[in-house]
Amino acid sequence: MASKEPLTNRSPLVIPCSYLTTEGNKTGSWRFLRPQYEEKTSPCSAACPSGEDIARIQMLTAQGSFKEAWETILVENPFPGVCGRVCYHPCELQCNRREFDEPVAIHTIERFLADTASRYELKFGLDKLAAKKQKIAVIGSGPSGLAAAYFLALLGYESDVFEALAEPGGVLRWGIPLYRLPPHILNEEVSRLQDFGVRIHCDKPVSQNFLKEAKKSYDAIFLGCGHSQSLPLSIPGEGLPGVEDGFHFLNKIRRGDIPTLEGTVAVIGGGNTAIDAARSAARLGAKVMVIYRRRQQDMRAFAEEVEMALEEGIEIRELETPVEIASQKGDLLVTLQKMRVAQEDLQGKARIKPLGRKREKIRVQHLFIAVGNTAAEDWYDLPSKTRGVTKLNNCVLEHRSREPVLVYGGDLAASIKSVVHAVASGKEAAMALDVLFKEGPKAMESRLKSCLVGEGPSLSMEIYLGGPRAKRNHSIVSYESLNTDYFRFAPAISRPRLLREERLQSFAEINLKIGGSLAIREAERCFNCGLCNQCDNCQLFCPEIAVIRDDNPQGRHINYDYCKGCGLCVVECPRNAMVLEEERL
Amino acid sequence: MKQVLEGSHAVAEAVRLARTQVISAYPITPQTHIVERLSEYCADSTLAAKFLRVESEHSALAALIGAASCGVRTFTATSSQGLALMHELLHWASGARLPIVMANVNRAMAPGWNIWADQTDSLAQRDTGWLQLYCEHSQEVFDTTIQAFRLAEWLNLPVMVILDAFFLSHTYEPVDVPRQNSVDRFLPSYQPRFKLDIEYPCAFNQLAPPNIYMEMRHNIQAAMDEALIFFDQVEDEFEDIIGRRYGPVEAVQCEDAEIILITSGTVTSTSRQVLTELRDKGEKAGLLKIKLFRPFPTKAIREHTASAKKIAVIDRNFSFGASGIFAQEIRAALCNHPGHPPVFGYVAGLGGRDVTTAVVEEIYWLTKGNDMPQPESIWVGLHEVDHAIGQS
Repeated sequence: MASKEPLTNRSPLVIPCSYLTTEGNKTGSWRFLRPQYEEKTSPCSAACPSGEDIARIQMLTAQGSFKEAWETILVENPFPGVCGRVCYHPCELQCNRREFDEPVAIHTIERFLADTASRYELKFGLDKLAAKKQKIAVIGSGPSGLAAAYFLALLGYESDVFEALAEPGGVLRWGIPLYRLPPHILNEEVSRLQDFGVRIHCDKPVSQNFLKEAKKSYDAIFLGCGHSQSLPLSIPGEGLPGVEDGFHFLNKIRRGDIPTLEGTVAVIGGGNTAIDAARSAARLGAKVMVIYRRRQQDMRAFAEEVEMALEEGIEIRELETPVEIASQKGDLLVTLQKMRVAQEDLQGKARIKPLGRKREKIRVQHLFIAVGNTAAEDWYDLPSKTRGVTKLNNCVLEHRSREPVLVYGGDLAASIKSVVHAVASGKEAAMALDVLFKEGPKAMESRLKSCLVGEGPSLSMEIYLGGPRAKRNHSIVSYESLNTDYFRFAPAISRPRLLREERLQSFAEINLKIGGSLAIREAERCFNCGLCNQCDNCQLFCPEIAVIRDDNPQGRHINYDYCKGCGLCVVECPRNAMVLEEERL
Repeated sequence: MKQVLEGSHAVAEAVRLARTQVISAYPITPQTHIVERLSEYCADSTLAAKFLRVESEHSALAALIGAASCGVRTFTATSSQGLALMHELLHWASGARLPIVMANVNRAMAPGWNIWADQTDSLAQRDTGWLQLYCEHSQEVFDTTIQAFRLAEWLNLPVMVILDAFFLSHTYEPVDVPRQNSVDRFLPSYQPRFKLDIEYPCAFNQLAPPNIYMEMRHNIQAAMDEALIFFDQVEDEFEDIIGRRYGPVEAVQCEDAEIILITSGTVTSTSRQVLTELRDKGEKAGLLKIKLFRPFPTKAIREHTASAKKIAVIDRNFSFGASGIFAQEIRAALCNHPGHPPVFGYVAGLGGRDVTTAVVEEIYWLTKGNDMPQPESIWVGLHEVDHAIGQS
């Protein structure tokens, strides 16, 4: 404190002026609330069955760090190219941006990152953990089997994947139409896994005898054989010529055995196989109708696929079920029973009953049945006993002392039959086996629980491996907890697609590529809920200049000698990446 | 060059020609046209100033206190409730000796909501250490705004330029706008005597204990005393370059006047006309316009009223429980002056009610017809009202 004499002899001027530092005044002693950097869980990442760190993927994409973004996917999911195309993206439904304008096009960004990695032949730099002595046999090279083998390799385990058919991929290769997933994408992803050390043995159908033998040389067997057996309709006339299994029809096309279809095709069912079969038939020149016993909104097929089917001119007949098929002058005469909605269940899905004796006969040339699949062999069925059996969210482990562990995965055990749930199943199995081998069965559930993304059920391999994500708070960031003053309204990019007319010409992929600038712009829309993207608002607003930039991964720290605990930094953090807590004395 | 300007735009032109560097304001009727025009000038680079948008008048002045502490030329404008909201920082600006210039458009205080002319808003801030200059017409508004920067920067005190709502702020009049180089000659760039500088870190205005606080206050008063002298020097220079002067007060035919009307703001113009008419009738009337209210030009007022028999002060403002504020100030200025004339206080034109020539004339005749003033102010032109709540 020093009073200064007037600096010139103009008019009289005295003000207090001090040249002493004010650093002696440690305003931090006033603090009773402590702001801290604390990253939280984004709702999209918790909604992703394979627990991808979506908010971070968007942040890295927005920064142009495409390789790092791609690798961030690969820690949790070995199939960005496949999932960027065929995933039903439940993440976007939970996107907080939905409350603001439109959800971020997460699915499109995933596809973009996979395309970019492919174009530049990026090699991913994940390190495997130290080699373990246990060996695992994986039955089936569908998404769950390959994911299991991949994550086991990451954790240091050797495995052998046995595939019954001549090429790996399972449902990805034989069940998903080309216009949704071109085969070169699958091939690329599979060969990346092979480069990573996943051994795949094709033309090795697995019998119970094979399994017995395998039990001698492996410590665990992962059954990812899928549901390849179609369910029958069980009505008269099912065996007539012209009546075909929808899944089989899709397989044929993928094998290159492409029939020509003339006249009208009816597809029975409401799942993805039904819609895929219908759209494939439309591409082969047929007039197609989908007959479903419930309503369109009750279909298990992904809504986006149903929308596109309608665009492509496919008719959907709701609340009708076939009761008899007859042959008449080379055509099929299908008797349809009208149904009615008796009530709705908790999810709003219709429970149906026949509408009296109201029936209609329709004349078609082909009929595809796609009313669901089941396991091809009864020994794939889940164990009925409970002793020595651990049921997890997407797989079931049968473990008895002195016997190899048997893991039922993929469609055999997954809560929902989807590619991304199959990946989740393979990851869960790999993590569960690692805990089982290292710490025994009792540790399994609690150890896995600690790796949940948010409240789960998705699991994170990065958390399991103790990466930076492990430090994140499990609470999920709500829209209300964001400071949306810092975001501008911007519609999501429109996903470029082939025109409807172009689609019907061939099996060419419908969804088109997007460029880097568009991807960055879209990724910039992401709120990065719960993550710090170095926006520096905390530093800018701190009245005590107590936010200090540094070289740690956070990029800054709080100097608690001077932080008064005013909480401005926490309020001005746009993305809820900070927390204000009562000071503990 | 003569231009037809709205009073508000006369202020804005002056601020532009003053090469102001930082402007911060919050809109309020009837002030908004001033900062609206300035924001346009900032947006189209007509004026190379930083325009800070803020969420209140309190923040507007706080922002300027920060800017002025860094040694730049600053301006804000407000009115009525906005000025009241600045109250705390008005003290800070003067105590910190920051040469901030403000235009205040005189508007009545609420409730009831009233956007029209009334001087109570600025007079209620008379003790905050700001110079206050009341203007009569748009030319004076323009000239005074430019002079205000000279005064403020020399004295290291903030200056308030005051104009009546609508009568000035929204009325178009011919205004002579000098060339930029004339203004530059009168008002060179601001040379701060102290400023925050990261090269030489220091802090201003921290604790001032009893052993220094009083001296600081006395020092502000010393600067105010100097302002009375410096005001004339500024006007001399202004007259040399631009060719106009106004004086801290303006006496019209006061030398031989028996009754002197004392006015401020636009009421002065109306009174000039009344004065002419009264003189034509042979009445020995005079008119004293007060422009400089803080510091109060006591000496000039004593001199100009020395030979008068009566003084009639017209106040477009009121201090509840006392009287019109100009009347109070004039009584205080005269009371220790031997043989001073009695001071008649009149309240008229509150909340924008017209003060017509008839009103001013009535005040003259009331003054002439009474030997001594009443202890209370006389409210001129009051309507009969039913005192029940809710009646109009």
